[in-house]
Amino acid sequence: MSDSISKPALPKSRLARVAKGKRPQYFSDPATDKLLSMTLTLMEELSVTRERLDSLERLLASKRVVALEELESWTPSAEAALERSAARTAYVERLMRAMHAELEEITRRGTPSSDIDPLDAVGS
Amino acid sequence: MPAFNRHAMQPVPSLDEQARQDFVCSLRAHLSGRLMPGAYKVYEHRVEPSFRAANGQSPQDHEEVRAAMTLDPFYQFWSAMQRRSQELLWESVIDPTERQLLSLIETSKSLARAADQSGRGTLRLDPALPLPRYHAAVDIHLQPGGYHTEFTDDDVAAGVVYDKGINLYMGGALGAENNLMGDILLAYLREKYPDFRPKKILDLGCAIGNSSVVWARAFPEAEVYGIDVAAPVLRYAHARAEALGVPVHFSQQNAEKTNFDEGAFDLVLSHIVLHETSKSALPRILGECHRLLQKDGLMLHLEIPRGKSIIEKFMHNWESYNNNETFSRFMTEIDLKAEALKGGFVNRDVLVGEFAPKLDVAQMNYAENFFWKILAARR
Repeated sequence: MSDSISKPALPKSRLARVAKGKRPQYFSDPATDKLLSMTLTLMEELSVTRERLDSLERLLASKRVVALEELESWTPSAEAALERSAARTAYVERLMRAMHAELEEITRRGTPSSDIDPLDAVGS
Repeated sequence: MPAFNRHAMQPVPSLDEQARQDFVCSLRAHLSGRLMPGAYKVYEHRVEPSFRAANGQSPQDHEEVRAAMTLDPFYQFWSAMQRRSQELLWESVIDPTERQLLSLIETSKSLARAADQSGRGTLRLDPALPLPRYHAAVDIHLQPGGYHTEFTDDDVAAGVVYDKGINLYMGGALGAENNLMGDILLAYLREKYPDFRPKKILDLGCAIGNSSVVWARAFPEAEVYGIDVAAPVLRYAHARAEALGVPVHFSQQNAEKTNFDEGAFDLVLSHIVLHETSKSALPRILGECHRLLQKDGLMLHLEIPRGKSIIEKFMHNWESYNNNETFSRFMTEIDLKAEALKGGFVNRDVLVGEFAPKLDVAQMNYAENFFWKILAARR
């Protein structure tokens, strides 16, 4: 993307990207921790890409030709910012469905937990 | 997200960098607002019942809750995502900061030169000041390099990153100038001590001076001082205050032992700082407050509540174990009044209170049903 094009000469000093202090392990297999970290980064980058596309679409709708500099300097209107914020909220909600499903199952009263194998439920 | 004031010391994000920061806010709003309450539900419906079945009784304290909860798959997943969101938050601010760091440093220098000429705010650094272990052992709040690391000469990066970082952390609820903490303590002062007119104010652990500026704006006739142990946040604090046109005197000092004269201030403050110190530093800081206050002077410390039930206590300690707020875990058990008495204050002059200020609508999201803890003492 244009980040690599618009980037000026690198500053003399690079800033740190990792905080000092032991990172907790959340799952029994450390690979799961790494996978989840990567998933969230992918989630972020997909959001970034979608927003960039959204910017492009909105620009294309209003202009015939779009210069890269023009796209880079474009910012959403207050109305578009609100629409994008609502779209992001919905996107996060969709991605978190597995978590909400688990919560619903835990808090559903009077029904047995879904430990039951679906095949058993229909097989007898 | 509510507005965040633009000033000369802020980097301008690219289109994609802006989208990353916006995403982090949306993600964190979901994790805190929609999934965090689920941790209470899994405790009530799954963790506590199975603990009771196995042990014949409920968990007896927040450490027993912790042992059981950290094995729960919902809690594990939420917690791991909450942790990652904090890392993404810093990354989203570090990228634009690094790209524009050299020009931000130049801006900070020209703002400092202008301040020297006008004789308004000042900055005094002390490169020989040792960093306390509780400050430098781990990077507080996972900010890479913490408040103190200098990546280049005359570095301001830690301050630049912290300012935008805490704005994102609270989804903008800290206000247009990250002013909420100062506003809350100011509202407390105005409610409890309506006639108090400070002449000389000290803000301990001021970092980027966001709260110092609140007090300087509220009492323009008073002299306001801010101290911190970390140089890069102070350089930024000075440039930021000058960019906002508010005079504050910043200096690099340790709140356990400052070089101000005895009785130099009539108001000494800190804003959610005490829980970042240590068991031994805490009474020393309160003792130093006692020394610095003149007769009838006032000490006010704003602190984060630590919960009442054992599950609340456990949840309030999430930041201790997962966000490098190492000391806050001990604050759950610490009696702030007893610590103030160790520092030399007299029993009848010390008060530990809860305070839920009435703030404007933009700030209510955060403040509603949230009682802040305040340690107040009169000299």
